[in-house]
Amino acid sequence: MARLLEFEAKDLLRKTGIPVPPGGVAVTPEEAVAAAEKIGFPVVLKAQVPVGKRGKAGGILFAENSGEVLTRARELFGKNIYGYGVSQILVERKLDIAQEHYLAILSNPATKTPTLIFSRHGGMDVEEHTGGEGIATYNIDLLQGLRPYMAMDMLKGAGISGRALPALTQIAVKLFDIYRKNDCLLVEINPVAMTPKGPLAADARISVDDDALFRHPELGLDEGGEVGDRPRTQIEKIAALIDAHDHRGSAHFVQIDPDGALAKAEGKISIGFDGVGTGVSLAAMDELVPLGFLPRNFCDTSGNPTASKMYRITKVILAQPDIEGYVFISCLSSQQLDNTARGIVKAFLEIYPDRMPNIPCVFCFRGAWDETAIAMFEQHGLTRSPFIRVLGRDATERDVALAFRELHTGWRAQRTAGAQA
Amino acid sequence: MSGVMSFEVFSGGSVTFDLATCAKCETKACVVACNVPNLACVLELKDNVPHLKVTQEEAKRGACIECLACELACMTDGIGGITFSLPMPEWDELIAGAAARGETPGFQRS
Ligand code: SF4
Ligand code: SF4
Repeated sequence: MARLLEFEAKDLLRKTGIPVPPGGVAVTPEEAVAAAEKIGFPVVLKAQVPVGKRGKAGGILFAENSGEVLTRARELFGKNIYGYGVSQILVERKLDIAQEHYLAILSNPATKTPTLIFSRHGGMDVEEHTGGEGIATYNIDLLQGLRPYMAMDMLKGAGISGRALPALTQIAVKLFDIYRKNDCLLVEINPVAMTPKGPLAADARISVDDDALFRHPELGLDEGGEVGDRPRTQIEKIAALIDAHDHRGSAHFVQIDPDGALAKAEGKISIGFDGVGTGVSLAAMDELVPLGFLPRNFCDTSGNPTASKMYRITKVILAQPDIEGYVFISCLSSQQLDNTARGIVKAFLEIYPDRMPNIPCVFCFRGAWDETAIAMFEQHGLTRSPFIRVLGRDATERDVALAFRELHTGWRAQRTAGAQA
Repeated sequence: MSGVMSFEVFSGGSVTFDLATCAKCETKACVVACNVPNLACVLELKDNVPHLKVTQEEAKRGACIECLACELACMTDGIGGITFSLPMPEWDELIAGAAARGETPGFQRS
């Protein structure tokens, strides 16, 4: 999910007419001082990183004067917050907040609608503080959109009245406008700060659907942004480029154990992995893990990807440092497995011109054109390697895992013998 | 026959045929491979060498489905007239910089 930084999100809010605190972005401590002096003290300095709970990680600091801004900004620029180095700081006027609310629109997988969410209690740890209590929701019909009366009804039901009611209603409607226009998965203001001058978006989070990014070059987001709450690894960014502008089938690649630390801690062996379909990937992992192998990555190459896509993603999987093997498995797939195999074969022939992989590799093709796919490995001399095994539609996930263990045991034995000789 | 026949593909990359080599090829396996059912059929034989039977623009828009059948067929049955280039400059950089990061890519490990 591609996520805008806070200042970028606020920029969208401002342009849509949602009030945000006065502020400026700084890339050096001196710029932070200049921004603060322009806004007026006291100020808040906020590290611009695409993760939540920055405050808890020391990413939000306050300053009363220029000297403090300089010290705090220097502190922030040196910080790493949940894997993200701080290279930009948002300097904002510290607000006089009477009350904090929570307001968001998110793509709700349960209702398959955008859902407007409001809580009277906003701020840090909103979920924990409310325990889900006092949270009002309204599922929005995409065809109707969010009309002011709908938002107003919901807010009234949540206990909002007086001048706050029309002000928050307007914000909710504009939030929906942002959500629709930018193909968002989440547009969140937390907190909506209730100040003497009216409500302001004190913090904002906007996440855009990865598959719609190509429609929004103006947002300057790329698919290689983040994985969950950590930045994408270099290799994940390279993998994301493969799918970025080519939607013929998928090559969804995520590193489960980017640096192999988990495998080491669990006493497992790190391997590269590719599955045609998520279900089969999970089933195969369920068989591999008890045998002592931990896939360093998850990869789903389904939806009939082009052979060129398979070629590129195979190179990415094999580039992962220190893996001790590679497993490819398809589900009983309707995708053209000969195309799939061609991409893999091209990658292997390029990487291993002698047709002798340096690590054990098991391939399992089950489904459409599986026999053609399997034959291709033989035609191109890849099955001559003692460390390649190609299985067909009779093989189960367990067979694949056992075949891999057998190859890996032989490979290890050969390496040990080689080292002793 | 000399020169090249070349076209770009949708995902970024190009296919290039060395026509002097292709003229000597007896199988024209690339053209055969491209013309099997379920594949895209964008290659034909013209003047005894592979020829694109759609426009360059159509090929790049996806008429060439990047199935790689032509290239792999040439490897087994042709005489090496085709170059199917699918660049990944970021991957090349990753591999080139691995040593400096103290890493060994999986396919290069000893
Ligand atoms: S199979 Fe190879 S050598 Fe023969 S015509 Fe095709 S590209 Fe040229
Ligand atoms: S990649 Fe496939 S569709 Fe494109 S020219 Fe080669 S055989 Fe034909």
